[in-house]
Amino acid sequence: MAILDYFRPVSTLPAERIRAFLNEKRMGEFNLLDVRQPQEYEQGHLPGAKLVPVGELESRLKELDPTKPTIAY
Amino acid sequence: MRSRAAAAILTRGGFKEVYSMEGGIHAWKGMVASGAPEAGIAYFPAESTPSELTALAWLLEDGTRKFYLEVASKLKDLETGSLFKELAALEGKHKEKLFAIHLAISAMAEDPEYPASVISFPSEGGYMEGGVEVGKALDWARERSPEEILEYALSLEINSYDLHLKMEERVKDPRAKEMFVSLAGEEKGHLLRLQDQFLKLMTAS
Repeated sequence: MAILDYFRPVSTLPAERIRAFLNEKRMGEFNLLDVRQPQEYEQGHLPGAKLVPVGELESRLKELDPTKPTIAY
Repeated sequence: MRSRAAAAILTRGGFKEVYSMEGGIHAWKGMVASGAPEAGIAYFPAESTPSELTALAWLLEDGTRKFYLEVASKLKDLETGSLFKELAALEGKHKEKLFAIHLAISAMAEDPEYPASVISFPSEGGYMEGGVEVGKALDWARERSPEEILEYALSLEINSYDLHLKMEERVKDPRAKEMFVSLAGEEKGHLLRLQDQFLKLMTAS
């Protein structure tokens, strides 16, 4: 095997697609996650985003519905 | 960058449809995003063996070590520099552990060609988590602030944490399992130290 066989691209969406997505859908239909630190969140975040710093994410997965589309930033 | 790490964790956690926002909050605010080198999420082809996974981990530890060392020597912020130097030494220790496990699971006394004996890698400069070439990451880091480099390092550590847990799920050998769990725990420790330093610089500015 070669090293690059072990990596796959991440699905990313540009900000404008996410803007459109948030406008179309209702709040409970998706998970919107802010994975930065609380101090950064306080300085500004997307409307309705839930703060789960990336270091805590794994232990807090239960708070989220895995069947809904999830956007992280 | 951290959102890629988050996407990897969510995907491993069984989330069906996961996206990360290109350029993060900066892109949302209409600012030009200064993204790190494009990186992927690790996945393991069904046919990959424990030896291959161990070699992959070894190679990525080595790449991260090189990146940290080089960054440490360039950073003007001495405190951040010495943190990277220390972390580089710890990644070096991880390499030794991985090599020892490689010898144990393949019942070899020595393997001077390691890791090329197991895995192929086109660039001699080394690779980091996400499949990023060390040289490309260093090119990116050249004009970046300590905060930006710390944030990138945060995403590297959380991804290698995730990678080691994925590997643990895939191997059967109890020694290898134990080692991947212990490595994951240590990467988490690195993450917390980087996070502290990141916050310190952020609140100072």
